[in-house]
Order: sequence, then structure tokens, then C-alpha cells
Amino acid sequence: MSLKTFVNRARRSLLALGLGAVIAGALAGPAAAAGIDDIVSKKKLQVGVLVDVPPFGMTNANNEPEGYDVDVARLMAKYLGVELELVPVTGPNRIPFLLTNKVDVLIATFGITPERAKQVQFAIPYSSFDVVLLAPKAKAIGAAKDLKGVKVGVARASTQDTAVTAMAPQGTQIMRFDDDATTMQALLSGQIDAIGVTTLIARQIQEMNPAAEYEAKFVLRRQPNGIAMRRGDADLLQWVNTFIYFIKNNGELDAIHQKWLGKPLGELPVF
Amino acid sequence: MNYVFQFQEVFAAWPELLRGAWLTISLSAGAMALGLVVAVFGALGKTMGPKPVRWLVDVYVEVIRNTPFLIQIFIIFFGLPRLGIQLSANQAALIAMVVNVGAYATEIVRAGIETIHKGQIEAGLALGLRPLQVFRHVVVFPALRTVYPALCSQFILLMLTSSVVSAISAEDLTGVANNIQSQTFRSFEIYLVVTALYLGLSLAFSAAFAGIWRVVFARQDRR
Repeated sequence: MSLKTFVNRARRSLLALGLGAVIAGALAGPAAAAGIDDIVSKKKLQVGVLVDVPPFGMTNANNEPEGYDVDVARLMAKYLGVELELVPVTGPNRIPFLLTNKVDVLIATFGITPERAKQVQFAIPYSSFDVVLLAPKAKAIGAAKDLKGVKVGVARASTQDTAVTAMAPQGTQIMRFDDDATTMQALLSGQIDAIGVTTLIARQIQEMNPAAEYEAKFVLRRQPNGIAMRRGDADLLQWVNTFIYFIKNNGELDAIHQKWLGKPLGELPVF
Repeated sequence: MNYVFQFQEVFAAWPELLRGAWLTISLSAGAMALGLVVAVFGALGKTMGPKPVRWLVDVYVEVIRNTPFLIQIFIIFFGLPRLGIQLSANQAALIAMVVNVGAYATEIVRAGIETIHKGQIEAGLALGLRPLQVFRHVVVFPALRTVYPALCSQFILLMLTSSVVSAISAEDLTGVANNIQSQTFRSFEIYLVVTALYLGLSLAFSAAFAGIWRVVFARQDRR
């Protein structure tokens, strides 16, 4: 390749980049809020759900999403009187999916944090669980300060990621994977020493590998999850809050909790 | 609601972006150099080696070229520890990239070697060059010269493919971008910035390739 072709290519690339920025700007511009009226008039509710966090979101034998979140989505569509379309999302891509109008709301085991609330708006919690640090019994880890020099795996962009990142002392090797399943694989193959996961996944890991003797070392945080939507639509937010208040009171949410987690819902925080 | 672009949080993370870009550069450059060595030996084995060697190279090339890179990298990172070979994320990434680009480049270099006429090799031998000298001056060098543009675009592709290594927790440019995205949730901003960075890296590699061409190959024209 001669210098001339290189210069030509550089020129074209810069032009393309400029054009790309303009197009991205144009596309990103109208991240319109989906009002209730929009959802009702298009007769369809598009919900982003995770499929890698059993029992909240997973795929069944027919490769369809199911779980706690999916049942809540079904109820929501029922009360809106519209058809439900489930869209599988991942931890890292769920906010982009929401902001680019690919889904109306996220019911995606989405922990409520102030950082996230700068980008999306949350309804009051509809589920909650604990996030723990799981490691083999042989590893002497009592508290966050013992993590120095330990390889801790987390799913990128998850609340365990933020919790571990905030608590870990200097010298902790935090390794971020794309989802819980890959992080789990890293623990099982010995690529990491410890893992930040929800108690539900922790139980699953322990049941699958009794020989390895994994135990929960300490609780990283309690995570209440909220339904998330694009910022700016007070109407929809008010409706979703009303919906959650209603299904908490009439026992429908408790029934979902019983079905998937085998125990009563208990008290959920509100705001 | 209109989306408001806010770049400050993204630009505030520039040391991390720089570190990520550097890992992408060093992984890519390392994989290019080692991959070229693999390719030359692979192509040599495929064109001139005995039957079992040809067959082995064929299997290697076909298996790698017909399976996804992500799966290859998962097998190296998650599979090898079960055999007792523990690799860090960066080591696993480099090996996966070398194995991957080696297969593609083997085919490219093989094509180059096949453009060398048999008569030229015989002429070289008749002139009293030793087989290794013939291989170096008559076969490999002109072959690489012929396929140089194809090799370069394969190497650029490799650099872009390396974005996948964040899946095994290597903190390359894409990995860092995803981390920043997960902290700030400024996805559009970070992906725009990273797109520009990748484009810059591609151009930088192109410039380096153009330089290598001038130093290594273009001199021959003037002779």
C-alpha cells in the first residue's frame, strides 16, 4: 500500500466518522418516552427481560423466557389490556435497548441505584435478593479487606460489579465477564478465586458442585429491583407504581414469589 | 424527551481508555507477528510438506476458519485449565488471536507461494543456492510481497476482532468501554468515542503497514 492510498483512506475514514457521528446524533435524538397511551394504542407492551438470572429470568425447554420477571411482565400486560412481547436483553445492553426504543420497559432484575437513575427512571421495587461473595471453604475470606490479591469475578455492569468495585481494597483483581453464566464458568474452571453473585445463583453453584465446597463469605448488598423506563414519562411511572402497589396488595406478586422462590414475598422497601 | 449527549464522564476516564487501547495494540501487534510466523510455516507445510503434514495443516485451517472466534477463545480460557494449563486472560487472548489469525494467514501465504513458478525454484537451485536460501529469497519473500495487501487487511480485521476478548475479562479497549458504560450508562457517548479510537487504531496500523512496505518490499522496485 502506497502512502497515497493511505492518505486517501485516512481522508475517507475521517469523512465516514463525521457522517457516522451525525447519523448517531440523529438516531439517538428522539429517545421518546413510551406513554401509556402509546402502549395502549399500539396494543403491545414490549418488555426487556434477562434470561440468565434464574429464577427471575431464564429460558424454558421451548427456548422461551420464563421466571419471576416474565410473570410480572405478563401481569403488567394483562392490566394494560395489551399483548406482551418479551425481548431478551443482557446486563450490559439493557439500558441501550431501553434508550433506543427497542423496549417500552425493562423488567430485568434491575437493581435500583442513583447512577442508573441518571439514565432511566425506576418504579418502586417489585423483587429483591441478597448479593454475596462466594468462594471455596478453603479460602480464608472474612470481610472485604481480605480480598487483596484475590481474583474476584463479577458480571460486568451488574450490581455485584459496583458492590465489589466499591468494597475491594487496592490489589484486588476484579475480573469482569459478560454475564453470570460466564463468570460461573470462570469460577468452576479455576480462573477466579471468588465470585460476586446473588444468593440464588450461589445456591445453584453449590448444588451443582458439592465437592468444591463453596460457601457464602459475606453479604455484599441487598438488592431491591425496579421496573425501569425511559426518563421523562411521569404518566407511565405513576401507572407502574400503581400497578405494583396493587399486585402487592391483592396477593398476585406474593403468588409469583411463592411459585419461583418457594417462600412468601416479605416486606419490600418503597420510595 | 430528547437525548442529551454528555461526554465529560467518558473523557474523564481517558487513562483507562488509553490503557485499554494499549492492550488492544499490543495484543494485536503480538498476534500479527506470531501469526505471520505460524502462517509461513503453515503455508510451507501445506505446499511442500509430506502428506501427513499437509493433512494436519488442512485440519487446522478448516477447523479455525469454520468456527467462531468467541468459541475458540472460550475453549482456550475455560477449557485448558481443566487440562492443568492455567492462563491469564491476556495470555489466553493472545494465544487465541495467534491461532485464529494464523489459520487465515496460512491460506493467504499459501496462495502467495503458489504464484511462484516451479521454474523459478529450479532456477534458484541450478544457480547453486541452498534449499533454505531458495525458500527465503525465491519463495517466501516474493510470496509475501504478492499477498501483502491481503495480509494487511486480514491483520486489520484481527485487530477489530480482538474486541471479543473482553468476554474473558481481558481489559482491552472494548472491555474498558463496557466498564465505563456500566458505570456511567453513557452508552452512546462511550461507543462513539470508542468507534473513533478503533478507526484511529486501524489507520495507525495501516500507516505502519505502509511504512513496512516501503522499507521491506518497495526497495526492490528501484533496483
